[in-house]
Amino acid sequence: MGNTNEMLVEFEAIGENESLARIVVAAFVSKVNPTLEELGDIKVAVSEAVTNAIIHGYEGNGGTIQMRIALDGHKLTIVITDKGKGIPDVEKAMEPLFTTKPEEERSGMGFSFMEAFTNELMVESKPGEGTRITMVKMMGEQDGSDN
Amino acid sequence: MNDELKLEQDWLWIPLPAEIDHFQVEQIRQKIKEKMQEAYVKYIVFDFQNTNLMDSSGIGLIAGRYRELAVRGGQVYVSNVSDNMKKVLSFSGLYRIVTPWEQVVVDEATEMELKE
Repeated sequence: MGNTNEMLVEFEAIGENESLARIVVAAFVSKVNPTLEELGDIKVAVSEAVTNAIIHGYEGNGGTIQMRIALDGHKLTIVITDKGKGIPDVEKAMEPLFTTKPEEERSGMGFSFMEAFTNELMVESKPGEGTRITMVKMMGEQDGSDN
Repeated sequence: MNDELKLEQDWLWIPLPAEIDHFQVEQIRQKIKEKMQEAYVKYIVFDFQNTNLMDSSGIGLIAGRYRELAVRGGQVYVSNVSDNMKKVLSFSGLYRIVTPWEQVVVDEATEMELKE
């Protein structure tokens, strides 16, 4: 099944666009008949990555978020990039419950959620340049039909 | 859909939206804050009846309310949690600090049966 597809979207780093990003991804993968659980998982993971760009990357001051979505058979790859302030210590940021903003009631579980609800997670960041989050998830494998 | 928060004595009932993300959480938090200024709230029920998605910002919201109520001897309950939502609540460890509302109802019924 050499079925591939790809799309690239850019949107403003504002809260309303968290749901927009989820809807775009859900529509894009509908072709491979994902289960409701897979769909729920990927929507949560996208939500976390976009929120991260809005709150931490741009610190609520706005900017542009780029989302690249690619489907190779049942393998979904999502790359979410911001040109915000970046993460000084990625390893630390990815520790469960670590948060730089406790006063805002952040749970510190954003990266844990991304990791738990996808098959692969990669975070690359340079302070002052931005952050790129890559997530891979297998979608619709249980579905017998040949897409 | 009625998404109005309901206040009854020291109980606050909070119907949650279909999708709980950081954007929604900011608005719900504000509504809760207003209600909690109206009355001395000790118990909160988060109703997930209409909810099919919650990310970690929802966890922050619930844990934050727990901290607020715990110091005054109160409690946080979650109601109508679907299997999908259960996954998120379990993974986050939230069940250590909140009680499923349905469990409370069952326990009370059992207690009454035992008395009879």
